[in-house]
Amino acid sequence: MVWTHRNLLDVDSLSREEMELLLDQAGHMDQLLDRPIRKVPALRGRLMVNIFFEPSTRTRVSFELAQKFLGADVVNWSASTSSTTKGETLRDTAWTLEAMGADAVVIRHGMSGAPWYLKNKLHRASVFNAGDGAHAHPTQALLDVYTLHKNIGPLDGKKVVIIGDVLHSRVVRSNARAFRTMGAQVVLSGPRTLMPKEVAALEVEFEPDPGKAVSGADAVYLLRIQKERQEAGLFPSEDEYHRRFGVGPEMLAKVGKKAFIMHPGPMNRGVEIASVLADGPESLILQQVRSGVAVRMALLFLCLGGEVSE
Amino acid sequence: MILKRAKLFDGKTLHPEPMDLEIREGRITALAPDLPVKDRDRVIRLSGKIVAPGFIDLHGHFRDPGQTWREDLISGSRAAAAGGYTLAVAMPNTNPPLDSPALIRYVKQRGANPEGARILPAGCVSKGRAGQKMAELGGMAQEGAVLFTDDGSPVARANLLRQALLYSLDLGVRIMEHPEETSLTSGAQVHEGRCSAVSGMTGFPEAAEVIGVSRGIALARETGCPIHLTHLSTAGALKEVRRAKADGLAVTCDVTPHHLTLSEEDVLSSGLSGVFKVNPPLRSLADVEALWEGLWDGTVDAIATDHAPYHQDEKDLPFQEAAFGIASYECAAALVLDRWEADSRPGPLERILAAFTSGPARVLPASLGPLGLIEEGLPADLTVLDLDRIVEVNPSSWQSKASLSPVAGRNLRGGPILTMVNGRVVFSALEGAEPDA
Repeated sequence: MVWTHRNLLDVDSLSREEMELLLDQAGHMDQLLDRPIRKVPALRGRLMVNIFFEPSTRTRVSFELAQKFLGADVVNWSASTSSTTKGETLRDTAWTLEAMGADAVVIRHGMSGAPWYLKNKLHRASVFNAGDGAHAHPTQALLDVYTLHKNIGPLDGKKVVIIGDVLHSRVVRSNARAFRTMGAQVVLSGPRTLMPKEVAALEVEFEPDPGKAVSGADAVYLLRIQKERQEAGLFPSEDEYHRRFGVGPEMLAKVGKKAFIMHPGPMNRGVEIASVLADGPESLILQQVRSGVAVRMALLFLCLGGEVSE
Repeated sequence: MILKRAKLFDGKTLHPEPMDLEIREGRITALAPDLPVKDRDRVIRLSGKIVAPGFIDLHGHFRDPGQTWREDLISGSRAAAAGGYTLAVAMPNTNPPLDSPALIRYVKQRGANPEGARILPAGCVSKGRAGQKMAELGGMAQEGAVLFTDDGSPVARANLLRQALLYSLDLGVRIMEHPEETSLTSGAQVHEGRCSAVSGMTGFPEAAEVIGVSRGIALARETGCPIHLTHLSTAGALKEVRRAKADGLAVTCDVTPHHLTLSEEDVLSSGLSGVFKVNPPLRSLADVEALWEGLWDGTVDAIATDHAPYHQDEKDLPFQEAAFGIASYECAAALVLDRWEADSRPGPLERILAAFTSGPARVLPASLGPLGLIEEGLPADLTVLDLDRIVEVNPSSWQSKASLSPVAGRNLRGGPILTMVNGRVVFSALEGAEPDA
């Protein structure tokens, strides 16, 4: 199996074999993170530009750590301090980055498809999608697959239930695909006002009753509920959301077996998730954060053709 | 001038036997199987190619006045001619909007371009296209407005639409409604369905169009006035129109070439390219099927382009930042014919040709005289079609100022090869039939 990708826009470009290769590589990186000196020179001298048009802390820091641990030069181009706010187009930004010699661009953008647009405009640099609109978040999906796989082994036939604001979530679109590619069954649940009209287009099952949905689950994955959705009238109150769709001990009891709890962060405690579960033994939430660094290291390493010189 | 051995579509029927057309002083003067050629006659040999009445577009954006970096009446008129059109209606959502007799006169005068299609103005229903007060419909009709519409948006309030329907009835000028319930489409980018589910972008629900269509039909029913519904894109909208027609109402509608030939699947497979962004959005495959069904059963009266040119800098952007609109004059007819051929000719060619000619003609004021027909004595507005010619869509060579197209690079089979306005060749890709200088 040879890795041929130079970019990652979404997980649908990856076959199961490729995903396994990436997870395998992430395993090596994970071990590296346990060493006293975590830095390797695999991407030394390569210029990585992280360009975030939307506020993001964990994804940006995770990419930056991955780049630094691999020895790359890192520039954070934050949209609020760049000429973007002066009305520069993404096209001009792309060409500017390339003129500065970027080998890779990591982009987070509020608009669906922006990373595809960027890639079409760049001649040389690799593009990594760190989240676009409510469309895709491929590295989140890969780190989630890695984390769950690390805890329960192969995902074939395992049941992953994702509950929450599917309509506005980029995470769920990439995750549903990635978990399915690895052989898992994916079931979505949440209020119908937060579901796309054709859930079937995501090629997953939909069960409106979260209590039924979680039955027999191996992992329950909660999506972040944003305050503005309630203000937009998509559900009546956070309290009611928590009672109907939030996951606490009562909901967990309906699983009927041991299930892990996952969340992409940042969490709204007391809305989509009860604190007792977020901090409990079933929670993989902090493991997800750590896996993020390892998976992004593996991805950059494979796509940019770095060599391990030890 | 004599056109020799044409396959004639006269606006109603496609004649099996080859016909000759004699054209003198801008009019069709004779129509017979074998006309004698006089010494000084210019002869164009058509060897079985189709001659149709000049194509009529009910819906074009010429961006003039005020947005002429996108298009103007001259470039747009040439573009329309190159697409086989001899007459096109200019939408009034310009800057300023065409809401007064003086502005109607401006477009009518500038649109009378002898080197391209004739451009006739549509006037706004409301002053400033603001949806509040009725514009001077009477004065605009007198200056030559051929439709009234707030296109780009629906007429904002049902009451205003009702009053405008009543007021315009005796002017002989029809209201063209852009059907959209805008409270359902705030922030919408793509079709609500597979495309919105997969892309995460906000969708235009089918119901938004159906509600707009139903409102128009209900008011037409109540007032007894005709109404024209433009750029219908959903199965549900056509169902409403079909029922209204069955009830005998004077309801007409058009569909666009892009909605007949592209779908939300193209948006997805393009990697969400902004060139596919249009309102109404490219719909589901089932909707595309329903539009063709409507064309075959007569629910659809016309194919109208909604030619909406933009500067590259307004379209070459991430999807959500790109402007809504597809420029299509120079490939519109070819797109439809190519799809018809690719689908193994699923219905009669006459229906398609009528939707480009006699169908839209019936929506326009009777005061314009007979349009969309070929008969002795009528002005020689003609379009010649070659069903076998394959042409690559190349926007950089277009007469239009638009330079981007969702079908750029595609090879389309069938399309116009000659356009004649008042007996003058304004476009020709036919050897030995160069345009009149």
